Amino acid sequence: MPATQLSTDFHKTMKLDNVNTSLQEEIKLECGVDIELCMECGKCSGGCSNAHIFDFTPRKVVQLVKIGDEETLLKMDALSTCVSCHLCVDRCPSQIDIPRIIDYLREKAHKQGIEPTRKNVQLFNKLMLDYVQKNGRVAETHLMVRFNFKTGQYFKDAEMGRKMFFKGKLKPFPSKVKRIEQVRLLFRDVPARREG
Amino acid sequence: MSNRTKTALIIGGGPAGLEAAIKIGQAGYSVTLVEKEPVLGGTLRKLCSSFPRWENPQELIDFKLQQLDQLPVVRVMTDTVVNAAERRGDSFLVTLQGKEGSNQVDVDAVIIATGFELFDASVYGEYGYGTYPNVLNSLEFEEKLKEWTAAGDKPEALQTVAFFKCVGSRDRSKGYPYCSKICCMYAAKQAGLVKDLFPDSKCYVFYMDYRAAGKEYEEFVRSVIEQKHVRYVRGRPAKVIPEEGRLLIRAEDTLMGIPIEVTADVVVLANAIIPSSGTKEMAELFGIKTGKYGFLDSDSKSPLQAGDRVFFAGACGFAVESLGAQYQGAAAAAEVVALFNQAD
Repeated sequence: MPATQLSTDFHKTMKLDNVNTSLQEEIKLECGVDIELCMECGKCSGGCSNAHIFDFTPRKVVQLVKIGDEETLLKMDALSTCVSCHLCVDRCPSQIDIPRIIDYLREKAHKQGIEPTRKNVQLFNKLMLDYVQKNGRVAETHLMVRFNFKTGQYFKDAEMGRKMFFKGKLKPFPSKVKRIEQVRLLFRDVPARREG
Repeated sequence: MSNRTKTALIIGGGPAGLEAAIKIGQAGYSVTLVEKEPVLGGTLRKLCSSFPRWENPQELIDFKLQQLDQLPVVRVMTDTVVNAAERRGDSFLVTLQGKEGSNQVDVDAVIIATGFELFDASVYGEYGYGTYPNVLNSLEFEEKLKEWTAAGDKPEALQTVAFFKCVGSRDRSKGYPYCSKICCMYAAKQAGLVKDLFPDSKCYVFYMDYRAAGKEYEEFVRSVIEQKHVRYVRGRPAKVIPEEGRLLIRAEDTLMGIPIEVTADVVVLANAIIPSSGTKEMAELFGIKTGKYGFLDSDSKSPLQAGDRVFFAGACGFAVESLGAQYQGAAAAAEVVALFNQAD
């Protein structure tokens, strides 16, 4: 895992007087997510599908917003490793939309030109969206092969791919949605907004 | 049995004692209500607002006093204490010491409703209570809130107020391992009042957890956090350091594991609720059981019965909010009325 440079030194005393609440207010305004509703129970992190590889679990992401540590948030590895599965928000007793917060932070980091901790994740996103733009849906086999070639890891997951292929889980030819022009319209309306 | 009307002695004129006096009076028995302070109302009288409905406690007291006024069978004696008590068969001969002298009364049942006191926080050297003038206990702060609300002349420089919960409570080292039950609620209430009075101020409530077990209680605490924007910080403060006229607080944010500091103008300690000195005296006078910490204990016959013809209600039994004190006052009254009815 690439090491994340943390701006919060967790051994150094933090002055609550200097806590910047502007990020919290920004998220409330821009995303409609009110983190004051957080009960700090940790159910989000307990159920998170990727918590085992997170540098900051969902609860800690919310807490970092609370203490206004924007620098850590924009650089954290979780921006790359969160797969937006929505288990956290699905289980949250206060229905705090954490994936929305993470999406917002991704966009913000991207706009500020902050390099993501994992380049391949960005590449994967780009390739996947290319397929969506072209076909209206993702061609998994092709995406996998293209991703592996572009990243130089030619035989990554090849064995699993073979098994899946013989079980009929992978389609050799990409398929298109019926009304691809509708998908094109979507991409035309939101041109610059790229995930990743 | 003598033909005279049966009399109940109620010691303490707070919400529990008032409720008991009214109910026994309404049942037609005579009551002697003794209060050591010059006015009735107990601790409730000192409060600025109530949870969970932000009501003015004085309105409740006024209503209770009106009810009392309509009951000629209730004799109210303020500025009076119980000096001695002697059991004589089914009654007690009690000596009451007032300002103008003492007199003896014959009573058939006793309800002790002597309330609570706050733990003396000066034993915590690290918080500086009694040393730093701006470290207050919750009742002292409540008094300030009352002043600021009533007079409208507020200190302008009040930027930050910090509340410490579990001061004394849940602390084995200080001898009070129990939870004082009401502090979570009144700390939320006081923090909310500060935000109402000083919208630009910052309020921090240091907590280990908040215990809001009661009707509308959880919603009350959440509304203080979510609508009044009081910041709850998880961790028990470790030290208060005076710094240029303000108070520097050291603690840990246990949610992130970061040591934190915050500078406050006022630190409010939510002290443990302990039995009042009056409670201890009454327990001795009437020869009844007290528990480990000095609160009155039930004799297991009934939850509010401490001995033969001796009952108790309110915070002298254990920390309780004013609503609970009223419940207990009414319940103790029911015990007394049932007893008097049986005897007749």
